[in-house]
Amino acid sequence: MAKVLVIGAGFAGHTAALYLGDTLGKSHEITVISNRDVFGYVPSWVWVGVGHMKPEQTVFKLKPVYDRMNVKFVHAAAKEIHPDAGDQYVVGEEVGTGKEIRLDYDYLVIAPGPLLNFAGTPGLGPEGGFTHSICSLPHAMKARDAYLAQCERMKKGEKVKIVIGTGHPAATCQGAAFEYIINVHKDLLKKGLRDKADILWLSNEPALGDFGVNGVQVKRNGIVQKSEEFIKAVFNDHGIRYQVQTGVTKVEEGKIHWQNYEGEEGTTDFDFSMLIPQFKGQPFKYIGKDGSDISAKLVNPAGFVLVDGKYGLPYPELTQTPEAWPAQYNNPTYQNVFSAGIAFAPPGPISKPFTNKNNLAIAPAPPRTGMVSGVIGRVVAMNIADLITTGKMTHSERMTEMVAACIASMGDSLWDGNAVTIVMRPVVPDRKKYKNEYGRDLFISHLEMGVSGAWMKFMLHYTFIWKFKALLGWKLIPE
Amino acid sequence: MQNEQEFSKAEKFWMNFKLYQLWRFIVLNVKIYTIAVQSKWH
Repeated sequence: MAKVLVIGAGFAGHTAALYLGDTLGKSHEITVISNRDVFGYVPSWVWVGVGHMKPEQTVFKLKPVYDRMNVKFVHAAAKEIHPDAGDQYVVGEEVGTGKEIRLDYDYLVIAPGPLLNFAGTPGLGPEGGFTHSICSLPHAMKARDAYLAQCERMKKGEKVKIVIGTGHPAATCQGAAFEYIINVHKDLLKKGLRDKADILWLSNEPALGDFGVNGVQVKRNGIVQKSEEFIKAVFNDHGIRYQVQTGVTKVEEGKIHWQNYEGEEGTTDFDFSMLIPQFKGQPFKYIGKDGSDISAKLVNPAGFVLVDGKYGLPYPELTQTPEAWPAQYNNPTYQNVFSAGIAFAPPGPISKPFTNKNNLAIAPAPPRTGMVSGVIGRVVAMNIADLITTGKMTHSERMTEMVAACIASMGDSLWDGNAVTIVMRPVVPDRKKYKNEYGRDLFISHLEMGVSGAWMKFMLHYTFIWKFKALLGWKLIPE
Repeated sequence: MQNEQEFSKAEKFWMNFKLYQLWRFIVLNVKIYTIAVQSKWH
């Protein structure tokens, strides 16, 4: 009987656990270790952050799901990983008791989600800083309370400055911040307070609508339309000011310090700000048989797990090398160690990186959340099942092959809500396969705004919670 | 878009015209489901 251990129960880890439980759970030991005992449906936290959805509607308990799926759940925080052959195990600390536990494994999936690196930008974040975040449920609730407090000020006739975007020159997840800024705009419109707020989009993207994926391009009526023009039109339509090519370097009370591509340093005042932090890998200790630190064999300096990608290529070469992106997501040294979701190390950025004259790199990191996380979680699970049953992996999916759909909410009302529906194939441009300057399938790629998107976003909330609860027919719902 | 900076009146009309949006809802669901399922059996 093989032992499979999954660290983390987010989109990637939980998806992997469900597929592993489904395929191997009855005959092998599948265990999930997570410091949270609930699954959180992250895409709906933008609605929690403006007070339009109750937090409890976005979470559910994991253990009852795992009990049905023949998966053992351990509510503990993983601390150490001991991957050397012969004695492979993970050490964790049980939540509540602080008791140290040891979990042996034959196959390990590292999918704990990101470390929200607020410390990377002095003054950033809701814990000891001056800005807010919607990257965790407690943060989204705190952001909601702070935002609603500003609404009270506006009701008294005060003017308020709102800044939303990225809080680090190398931050990712611009899509979530984009959803949040539009939801704030729509909420203020509904409350009759929009004229009291000056709203600014502040981001590290090379261009508006880049989203860390080099933008989205679609062909409509024979004309290539770019997300840059599209998002510019959205912001102009909504009266939202924007400033891109900007890396936030420090935050003080009511003041954001930044540098731009030109190397100019400046400040922006705010009353309320939601800035996405830099993401890093979780700070696990990787320990060899002799007790030595073997982190360099498993993770890059940012703590992301090295997998079967080709690392170190300069950006221009990387853009021409789709096979540099990992396919099966296992570590080359420890091949029974897999990684999924934000935890794996991408071979480089998707968007063009830039370093200004002050040597500050302003470069969005590749997003690997949502659908991408789920797909990788499934690929990893199916390959582990392959290895256990046949000894040979048969599944692979590079981000240069992967399709991703994203519904960016722009108000949650089913009557006058709105959303941008974005479909990309592939997520990372493949200029060898798609012979256009964008490296994308312009027929499949899609960019559309309308109330139908709001319906889809609403539908996805309930459909995916159904899937993640592993209810009837869950496997028919794609990641 | 009528230019690079803003949506035309016609575009805004179609974005909010519920019957057309119901059609787009069906089309987009079929499109996304089809390509996502293709990926699933990769």
